[in-house]
Amino acid sequence: MTSKIINMAEKVKDAEDRLLESMFDSAPIADDGFSAKIVGRIRRRLWLRRLALPVAALIGGTIALKPLAGLVTAAVRLSSLLPQELLATTSALLPQAPLVVLGAMLLAAFLLGLRALDD
Amino acid sequence: MRNGEDHQLVATAVSRQDAAAFGELVRRHQSQVRNFLRKLSGDFAAADDLAQDCFMHAWDKLHTFSGRGSFIGWLLKVAYTTFLQSKRKSKRYAEILDQVGHKMETEGQHYSVQSDEVADLDKLLAVLDDDERAIMIMSYACGLSHREISDATSMPVGTVKSVIFRGKQKIRTDFDIKDHQHG
Repeated sequence: MTSKIINMAEKVKDAEDRLLESMFDSAPIADDGFSAKIVGRIRRRLWLRRLALPVAALIGGTIALKPLAGLVTAAVRLSSLLPQELLATTSALLPQAPLVVLGAMLLAAFLLGLRALDD
Repeated sequence: MRNGEDHQLVATAVSRQDAAAFGELVRRHQSQVRNFLRKLSGDFAAADDLAQDCFMHAWDKLHTFSGRGSFIGWLLKVAYTTFLQSKRKSKRYAEILDQVGHKMETEGQHYSVQSDEVADLDKLLAVLDDDERAIMIMSYACGLSHREISDATSMPVGTVKSVIFRGKQKIRTDFDIKDHQHG
């Protein structure tokens, strides 16, 4: 019974509905720079997000470089204790490892920066 | 037509992370969203801050818009969620609501620029709870269908209908609408 009344009330737009509509009616609000403010906030956020990864990679790489170089030096020293034949090929490569890591990080940062500029 | 254009702008904004396309959506719908939040909160300045937060949330969640309903319906859902979250966070909301009744009596400076109809509307809305107020505003101010309100509030259509019915009954009980109509 109640649901029937509700359905009827929905279908028939009576004077009360029309009165409520007129009471709820209001003039449109002028934009006055509102949408520009939102777009500005979004652009700033996008830039921050795009810059965060390369910057974090650079900082992390800089911090990690010194211990990494030390580790490689220690590995080279340790290698002198091992048979020379075994390390004949690898010992030649090891001193270049920090350079390779640094180069890879710089390349990654450069590519990410390029992508951010492209976007 | 406008709905289709909205959907196209949403697709562009999501696929290209295009802030300008989203800006166009904001420009189109800011008035309705701000009006909705102004009526819901009764505080114009707070409502505009909420509207900014709402659009930022909308940007973050834009990829979740399925395109099934209207964009304004989805946007008002985000606005209502933002309003409820803000209300939960801030005890200030309770103070504002308390002040609304006082302001309507004293006609303070905040409402001094508003017409009598706005004050009347505030009185009507004050007798409703949050859900009822949001649904009545969506229905009568924003012109959303019961289906769209159902999507926006995550309530079944039947519940939306009964909330509107109950809201009208409350208003009828607390205010003599017929007198207002003819007076």
